[in-house]
Amino acid sequence: MTALLEVSNVSVAFDGFKAINSLSFEIGRKELRAIIGPNGAGKTTFMDIVTGKTRPDEGTVTYGEDDTKTRNLLRLSESAIARAGIGRKFQRPTVFEHQTVDANLAMALRNRRSPLDVLFYRRTGDDQDRIHEIATEIGLADTLDKSAGTLSHGQKQWLEIGMLLAQDPKLLLVDEPAAGMTLGEREHTTDILKKAAETRAVIVVEHDMEFVRRLDCKVTVLHEGSVLAEGSLDHVTADPDVIEVYLGR
Amino acid sequence: MKTDVPLSERSAAGAAGGKRRPFLIENPSVLIFMAALGLFTLGATLLSEGMGIGFFSTSFVKTLGKTLCLCLIAIAMDLVWGYCGILSLGHFAFFGLGGYMIGMWLMYERTKEIVVASFENAPLPPTPDEVRDAIGVQIFGVVGGAEIPTIWFFADSLFMQLFFVVAVPGLLALVFGWLAFRSRVTGVYLSILTQAMTLALSLYLFQNDSGLRGNNGLSGLQNIPGLTHLSQDILSIYFLWASALALAAGYLLATYIVGGKFGSVVSGIRDDEPRVRFLGYPVEAYKLIVFTISAVIAGIAGALYYPQAGIINPAEIAPIASIYLAVWVAIGGRGRLYGAVIGAALVSLLSTWFTGGQAPDIPLGFYTIQWVDWWLVLLGFGFVLVTLFAPSGIGGLIDSLVRKKTP
Repeated sequence: MTALLEVSNVSVAFDGFKAINSLSFEIGRKELRAIIGPNGAGKTTFMDIVTGKTRPDEGTVTYGEDDTKTRNLLRLSESAIARAGIGRKFQRPTVFEHQTVDANLAMALRNRRSPLDVLFYRRTGDDQDRIHEIATEIGLADTLDKSAGTLSHGQKQWLEIGMLLAQDPKLLLVDEPAAGMTLGEREHTTDILKKAAETRAVIVVEHDMEFVRRLDCKVTVLHEGSVLAEGSLDHVTADPDVIEVYLGR
Repeated sequence: MKTDVPLSERSAAGAAGGKRRPFLIENPSVLIFMAALGLFTLGATLLSEGMGIGFFSTSFVKTLGKTLCLCLIAIAMDLVWGYCGILSLGHFAFFGLGGYMIGMWLMYERTKEIVVASFENAPLPPTPDEVRDAIGVQIFGVVGGAEIPTIWFFADSLFMQLFFVVAVPGLLALVFGWLAFRSRVTGVYLSILTQAMTLALSLYLFQNDSGLRGNNGLSGLQNIPGLTHLSQDILSIYFLWASALALAAGYLLATYIVGGKFGSVVSGIRDDEPRVRFLGYPVEAYKLIVFTISAVIAGIAGALYYPQAGIINPAEIAPIASIYLAVWVAIGGRGRLYGAVIGAALVSLLSTWFTGGQAPDIPLGFYTIQWVDWWLVLLGFGFVLVTLFAPSGIGGLIDSLVRKKTP
């Protein structure tokens, strides 16, 4: 098995409304993938299922960290899924506003997470270097001591991306990373995501077609909870079903 | 919401160096707090009847000692509410349990001394069974019993009862927290559950067959077995010192917990619980640990409080007590340990003053304001004012003053 994440025949209904309808999806270990789809297509529910927030009614979600070890994600709690290497960026930037940029990054840094380990945690030189490295990459090296609440909206987005990088996940789920960003910031985001995908799997959920085009990767179109089309952006935008869904509304 | 980072948290998060520096340098407020507490204790000792010039009456020294215990439970409350965001409205259940646990030993051993003394003139020395029966009659006669209930099995062992002071509130918090947190009960629903917990405990203890003397509670706790040769004047000083020591230790422990990365995670849980979960932290375990530690601190505070109060009964555990605790911490400023201490000390001392009949009545001609009745109105008004105009409490005002001086 070469896929990192394999979702097969997953369905979930909320009060009878099928948010996800026998969805199957696969992503490799080092791959960048964009997921697009109209509102209500099930994009966010899909992420909720992968990260353990929502339990599907049926279907399986398996996660193969390497060729020998596969895990059933449906058995794990949210925090255990995160520890297994799945990181998620929310649409709205959610950083800890009452804490410094440094503390935000330190919390995300890949380290042991159990209460006792954290209680007696002492920051090592390596951790310190890593924080500086990430802060530089996201352009916040000068603001490490500032409280995150004083950052601009764009900087908060960066900080959240930095926290994801600090987690060093094997699978990165990114919900609308470009929302509220300037053109220059979008380009920088594209670069970071592309670079991240060289060493891990990255799934980007996005509305903005221009941004998706810039990512230059395989695209999965969701509609009414299942996959409508898959392939390059040019391929899917030429698909008559996709045109129907997007323009017919 | 404005970013209003308490000074303590700000410094603990790590400055330019990033590495964790020595504890006291990271937490300058600890030194100030310890100095203030030391001076207070010394001053109170020098002014006391037992060891000083007698300016403070013994009952006032006891009030001060009790106030220190209330400051300690306020720290426990701040830990769980101000830092972890769990608004527990049942912390006096833990406080009361701590008091009951030490009270059992105090009352049992004290009664034993009296019983043994009463047998002194008997022709034959009493058998252990006779002593035990006599103790049973003495303690439980008031609730119409003579049998010593099973829960008093270890009542003659100071060591075991001290262990229970920590273990019983800790275990209750562990079980309650485990059930509540794993079901993801949060916010106001959790607060209601904690109120229900303390109400249920209080109602249970009100029953005569609860084994803890029903509404009579435990009394005579100010008499310390083995130390009966010491007067209350001296004992009150000892308890003041013990309370100050416990408060200092509690403050240090809490500062350590909320500083550093553990504190980061805990206040992260307060601000955005799901986000912390998605960072991979087992949120429930963190909440459970903080809740349990806080309950244990509350239990210890109670075990020091009630020997100074002399009596404990189930009314102490009534839901309203825990609500007052939340009010103290809110007025003092939650999320700041010194704020909690200031709030508890100020409000509880004021409360003693107003309800103790010392506050002068205010004649309005048509009506006389008697503070015994009107103090609660004043407190409620103060609470509303603080909530509206100083949401981060007295501690927040101190923070902004310090910040002005050191930009």
